[in-house]
Amino acid sequence: MKLAIDETRCKGCNLCTKVCPYKIFKEGKRLNRKGVALPELDRPERCANCRLQKLYGRQLCGVCQLTCPDQAIHWIEEEPYELHKVAIEY
Amino acid sequence: MSYEDWYRQDRLPHIFCAGCGNGTIINCTLAAIEQMDWKKEETVFVSGIGCSSRAPGYILTDSLHTTHGRAIAFATGVKMANPDLHVVVFTGDGDMAAIGGNHFIHACRRNIDLTVICMNNQIYGMTGGQGSPTTPKGCLSSTTPFGCAETPFDLCELATAAGANYVSRWTSYHVKELEKAVKVGLETPGFSFIEALTQCPTAFGRRNKFRQVSDHVEYLRSHSLLKAKRDRMLENHEQIPEDMYIVGEITRRKRPAMGVKP
Ligand SMILES: Cc1ncc(C[n+]2csc(CCOP(=O)(O)OP(=O)(O)O)c2C)c(N)n1
Ligand code: SF4
Ligand code: SF4
Ligand code: SF4
Ligand SMILES: [Mg+2]
Repeated sequence: MKLAIDETRCKGCNLCTKVCPYKIFKEGKRLNRKGVALPELDRPERCANCRLQKLYGRQLCGVCQLTCPDQAIHWIEEEPYELHKVAIEY
Repeated sequence: MSYEDWYRQDRLPHIFCAGCGNGTIINCTLAAIEQMDWKKEETVFVSGIGCSSRAPGYILTDSLHTTHGRAIAFATGVKMANPDLHVVVFTGDGDMAAIGGNHFIHACRRNIDLTVICMNNQIYGMTGGQGSPTTPKGCLSSTTPFGCAETPFDLCELATAAGANYVSRWTSYHVKELEKAVKVGLETPGFSFIEALTQCPTAFGRRNKFRQVSDHVEYLRSHSLLKAKRDRMLENHEQIPEDMYIVGEITRRKRPAMGVKP
């Protein structure tokens, strides 16, 4: 699974940058066509749901998605499923 | 299946301002509903007037966007006419506690089988930031330019005193807890009331020194006191700071209820 922000929905409130335990979302700087600075993703493959959703067969964590007031955060299937080497600092 | 399937995708993005907490609360509510095995055809959302009350318009089920303050009155009608329906009300602090205050307390008294989710942004967001019955003391709004001098309602205490079977309070920071509380509310027969404190950056935050949306969410987090901890503090005769919001499950009981499917 791959984390993605829907550019047509995000309003750039940056709440996602505050809630992710891995700090995957970083405040964006470049404005898009709608004048919104989309957050940037810092090594999104560290996300618990990206790594373990397939293994557990259910949604994990998901705090960013529930928090995002604009329904802009979701996961997309990777085809074919790519294996990632993931380093996680605790 | 995921809770995203309950959204009317063609109506998104919604009209709420950037950082408005209403969207977060709809997410948490739909995530709870998704776990209920309810059919969309058997679920009805009802709301009054206000930014918060626009929520049902973004949900796939049948819904009623009614008149200001009357969401619970309409919902009572829907539930009594057809107790097979699952009826969920979205309302705001102004909608429910000001103009709709009587409908609210009497629905609690009747203990009618509804789940009411109040998006409490402590302001009339839609009409430009007038003070509401939940605007905290000292806060600025367009009708309290020198700081609100009145004591606000504690909506959860009000619901409890009036007779609701289930009452809990969380904030837009506590998304997982809010989701669980809504689920318990949906499962509980009788009147369930969930207060979700939330940020309105446009009408409230701007006037009250929350420069960033996240500053307000952080304030809600740091000013939340778990009910269990509050109870322990009371036992130890400790002082409870006045500006704290008590969060958690406030009330759960089994008073006789109305409109429950036999
Ligand atoms: C009978 C009537 N009186 C007044 C209004 C104007 N009005 C519209 S929304 C609103 C306040 C909404 O406040 P709240 O329920 O807190 O919703 P919010 O916008 O904050 O989510 C008022 C007074 C109205 N629409 N109808
Ligand atoms: S929380 Fe959602 S709307 Fe806000 S910046 Fe993040 S992705 Fe965009
Ligand atoms: S699901 Fe959790 S770990 Fe993954 S990006 Fe969102 S908040 Fe971070
Ligand atoms: S005015 Fe306030 S409550 Fe209304 S959409 Fe904007 S931020 Fe949300
Ligand atoms: Mg309000």
